[in-house]
Amino acid sequence: MPSFAHLFETFVSSAPLFLKGALLTFELSLASVLIGLAIGLFFAFLSLSKIRALNAISNFYITLVRGTPLIVQIFVLYFGLTDVVQISGFLAATLALAFHNGAYLSEIFRGAIQSIDRGQYEAAKSLGMTSYQTYARIILPQAFLRALPALGNQFIIALKDSSLAAFISMDELFNMATTQGANNFDQMTYLIIVAVYYLVMVMALSHLVNLVEVKLKRSGAT
Amino acid sequence: MRLLIIPFILALLAGCQSQNNEETFTFASSGEFRPFSFTDDQGALQGYDIDVGRELAKRMNKEAKPMKYKFPSIVEGVKNGRFDAAVASHTITDERKEHVAFTIPYYFSGPQIFTRNGEEYHAPEGIKTKDIAVSKGSTYATLAAKFTDKLSVYDSDITALEALNTGRHDLVITDAITGAMAIKRGLKVQGLEKLGESRQGIAVAKENTELLQLLNKELKSMQTDGTLKSIGVKYFGRDISVSTEIIKPGN
Repeated sequence: MPSFAHLFETFVSSAPLFLKGALLTFELSLASVLIGLAIGLFFAFLSLSKIRALNAISNFYITLVRGTPLIVQIFVLYFGLTDVVQISGFLAATLALAFHNGAYLSEIFRGAIQSIDRGQYEAAKSLGMTSYQTYARIILPQAFLRALPALGNQFIIALKDSSLAAFISMDELFNMATTQGANNFDQMTYLIIVAVYYLVMVMALSHLVNLVEVKLKRSGAT
Repeated sequence: MRLLIIPFILALLAGCQSQNNEETFTFASSGEFRPFSFTDDQGALQGYDIDVGRELAKRMNKEAKPMKYKFPSIVEGVKNGRFDAAVASHTITDERKEHVAFTIPYYFSGPQIFTRNGEEYHAPEGIKTKDIAVSKGSTYATLAAKFTDKLSVYDSDITALEALNTGRHDLVITDAITGAMAIKRGLKVQGLEKLGESRQGIAVAKENTELLQLLNKELKSMQTDGTLKSIGVKYFGRDISVSTEIIKPGN
């Protein structure tokens, strides 16, 4: 194990590089989570639809994404699509992460929406609300609150999974760490440093999710 | 039921034992550096490096144990005693010598610039602002960093070449022979300028002077009796164990 003094010294001297990496990690995660949320909500509705064909489509998507490793999906998008369209490394990583997280998010949304009591739908109907109004005003706000702990969990996973973009040469945190580790023959030091960066980012993220949860509960979304 | 756990614990403990002992010669290669090291259809390691490692083991009366390991961590693996040696196409450099000891060179090659067909760049001026793809922890990465600040690092040279082939990055700096082999296997890239000659050595832990001396002795005998030459002929159609020095360093 590297000494604490050495760790600290390296931590400080490598900070400019790692902050750059952290920014890319942040961008990758944020972009993929936002796209993933849209994809997830879309497929959750397909799953909940009464039309069999739509159920089958979302079932196919979820099976495919959950059944294959993220690293394979990233490489397929990076190398496999080049005959059709040339996408940048950032886009390949973002799309792969978004599609990957979308599948898990859609299951979270589906479960949350299904957990809302039938009486809520009936009450909305009796008030004369349309189907769209029912979902937008009654069901989704409640479902979102219920989904929040699971969503927070998935966001954390997405943040850490973005490290796999290192394999298609994205200079995000993990690639910074292994590259510096290889250049300085000192993998352990840089891996510990990168772990600290991820830990801080994940702690900030879970704190944020907690804040949102408390705020929503106070505003009486339940 | 609880007793069932004991065999597992024993198996784990057995795994903790050092893999290095007197009868075996454990050596690491990346397996991602065709034709020097690659895995064949059966999943076994093959290539110039592996043949050299196996031959050395035979001559030392030890059992050869090639191990596949990610290139960026191999030097540290040797340093920490994870394997006896690395026959992994390591260019002998002063930076690496601070961490491990090297044998005499077992082959000579050199870094070369590769681009997509029809594109042309000249070092150093012509590649200053270019996106150069290299393998992590390689001497090519260090070299490329001297030219450009747009480096893209991959886990292997082959992945970097493949990325170049699919229209990504501007150029790749990698070993001349590896690049030539990749072209032979269908990658639509071309080799341009060579950037000097490199000497490749086998890395062993610094304190393992006994093994280092033994390896040097056997390497020398492989040079004199033509074994090293014939391994080169097998993979490249020529002897790569002698310095050619026809390559002028790029300035």
